[in-house]
Amino acid sequence: MLSRIERTSALQWLGKQLFNREDPAAFFDPLLERINPMWVQQYTPARVERVEDETADTKTFVLKPSKRWAGFQAGQHVNICIDIDGIRRNRTFSLSSAPAQWHSNGTVTLTIKRLPGGLVTNWMHDNLQPGATIGLGEAFGEFLIPEAGEPLLYIAGGSGITPVLSQLETLAAANYEAPVTLLYFVRTQADIIAAQKLYELRQNWTSLTLNIIATNESETPRFLKEADLDEVSGIESRRCYLCGPKGLMDLATDLLSQRGITEDRMHSTFFAAPQAALDTDALGGEVRFSNSDINVSSEGDAPLLDIAEAAKLSPRYGCRMGICHQCSCKKTSGTVVNRLTGKSSGPGEENIQLCVSVPQGPVTVEL
Amino acid sequence: MKQMNEAQLNELEQDLNAIRDEVLADLGERDADYIRRVVRLHRSLEVAGRVMMPFGFIPPVFVAATAALGISKIIENMEIGHNVMHGQYDWMNDPSLHSQTYEWDTACDSDSWRLTHNYEHHTYTNIIGKDRDYGYALLRLSDDEKWRPAHSLQFINYVLLSVFFQWGVALHELEFERIRRGEVSLKEKLPFLKGFVRKGGRQAFKDYVFFPLVTFPVAPIVLAGNVGANLIRNLWSSTVIFCGHFTQDAETFTEEECEGESKGHWYLRQLTGSSNFSGNRFVHLLSGHLSYQMEHHVFPDLPAHRYPEISEKVQAVCKKHGIHYNTGSFARQYGTVLKRILSYSLPDRLREKWTAQPQTA
Repeated sequence: MLSRIERTSALQWLGKQLFNREDPAAFFDPLLERINPMWVQQYTPARVERVEDETADTKTFVLKPSKRWAGFQAGQHVNICIDIDGIRRNRTFSLSSAPAQWHSNGTVTLTIKRLPGGLVTNWMHDNLQPGATIGLGEAFGEFLIPEAGEPLLYIAGGSGITPVLSQLETLAAANYEAPVTLLYFVRTQADIIAAQKLYELRQNWTSLTLNIIATNESETPRFLKEADLDEVSGIESRRCYLCGPKGLMDLATDLLSQRGITEDRMHSTFFAAPQAALDTDALGGEVRFSNSDINVSSEGDAPLLDIAEAAKLSPRYGCRMGICHQCSCKKTSGTVVNRLTGKSSGPGEENIQLCVSVPQGPVTVEL
Repeated sequence: MKQMNEAQLNELEQDLNAIRDEVLADLGERDADYIRRVVRLHRSLEVAGRVMMPFGFIPPVFVAATAALGISKIIENMEIGHNVMHGQYDWMNDPSLHSQTYEWDTACDSDSWRLTHNYEHHTYTNIIGKDRDYGYALLRLSDDEKWRPAHSLQFINYVLLSVFFQWGVALHELEFERIRRGEVSLKEKLPFLKGFVRKGGRQAFKDYVFFPLVTFPVAPIVLAGNVGANLIRNLWSSTVIFCGHFTQDAETFTEEECEGESKGHWYLRQLTGSSNFSGNRFVHLLSGHLSYQMEHHVFPDLPAHRYPEISEKVQAVCKKHGIHYNTGSFARQYGTVLKRILSYSLPDRLREKWTAQPQTA
């Protein structure tokens, strides 16, 4: 109800005057959350309806977003936010269900694989139970199915199958008639995500050719090769969709380019977990100030505040010694070392103080 | 100020850093739960106060409504706003609790506060001439400032400042005394004045126009209650803040002795320039844990509800380095503040005579 009030600008203005915030509807969240977590206004809440096992290390979370969520197109992704040990963590995942499912019963699914050492994926596997709520952002992304009925080729690896599942299901429901081929690379047969669904699709939808390839079942790893592409009839005229680990995507891009497929007919998407810098990594690195669209490189123990000022930016600052937080802003990716404590940050999104943060490898800051 | 050599200052720095690191490593759900619980308490009290206020024609309800709204403002200003803006909860990555975007329920614009308080006051604490919080350019509180006849009436100024505290704080950045001396022009202060009008106007509109108007038949009662709630908050926060740096033993410093100072020296200055007072949990909550002003000044960005836990460790560090841990009951500490305001309103000769007399209180 409150979100509807916010849409009228007069009430929005009044809300700002009364509650001193840009999102006045969220003022009551601490109380509303106690009554019903689905009433929270600060983010779009989504309730976990079910958790299903896909493989030993992959689960599908069936979520029901609150009514104000605006929906999505097949192949898009969403940001989710979860409080873990008091810290709000934001991560991006592809939606694995078709939009038709959301239209019919209001649910969407995220299919998530445990990442070794991954904070959020492991927490979700171990702790996220039906009945819990998480925050859901609006869907975004350009990994979309074509408007015309072109022949398609999907090359997916591991958990990269998730946006492809959403697209295949959507295409099948529309009885897409042009040929569609999926080359799906998994480590072993036991690692096939949504195997049941894929086999059903193949059975009920004649356009689909399914080729599941296990990479790690023989002595030497079996990667994507020319012969796999030779089997795809009329490959030159196919629109290609790539989603998977970087190695697979690079290899596929090379092989497809050699066959004369142009970049505008290749679509790729994948979210790799950010890698934390090692303690032994040198200080300094490429710094990106995303709001100003400026990239600079730094060396040694220069803090981000100095780097920003050298790049002719003028961020707000105060004490320049880590006390006053005037220069606090958001780092969206990369590792920084705190000069005061000598400790390295995590690789993901968090608030940092520019005056005492030294980049360790590439860093992106909202400035 | 207590003199310590470089090695001793280094050791002090390391001792205090160790306390800080220990807390930082332990931050987590407990701290998040605490601040969210306080936010919930604030919302409940504010809703209760606003809902009860129109029924204030029943005297006990008027008292309850005014008290609820006043306490809600105190909690929001002291334990939530002040502490959130220090960056104590930035690590939670919750946009509602972020130091640089938080806006609090008082006339002072948050951006102005972040500049004058977080940066100037916390960096240059008690350095006469650099920390404008020392006496707020209104009161003479040490003999670093020469006595002028106008000072003899400064207790009236103090009472007025306390009564209108939110407006005093809101106008702090105007630097009226420097404008009067011609050091800054009013034109340079235009951006600040814009922010002041926007935020001050918003607060006045809310409490003195909007809520009375929507409850029209009982508007005078609602207006009176809202004025009362703001007054309660003004008096309490002014009192707590005065106890932080103006007690008998809180020291002042000169610019020369702080030039190019080390972190250890900064720590020493924070400890010797601040003072605590004791009390129960409720008092600490209502003071935003500024009752642990010494802990707050050495660790301004650690969650304040941690100060009671680390207080013993800070006391041990003080003892080890022979630094006076300045604390006492609220009445005792506030008594010395009042005495300081009164005594420095006198010319030096009279003051020395007065303070030389044996204490009766």
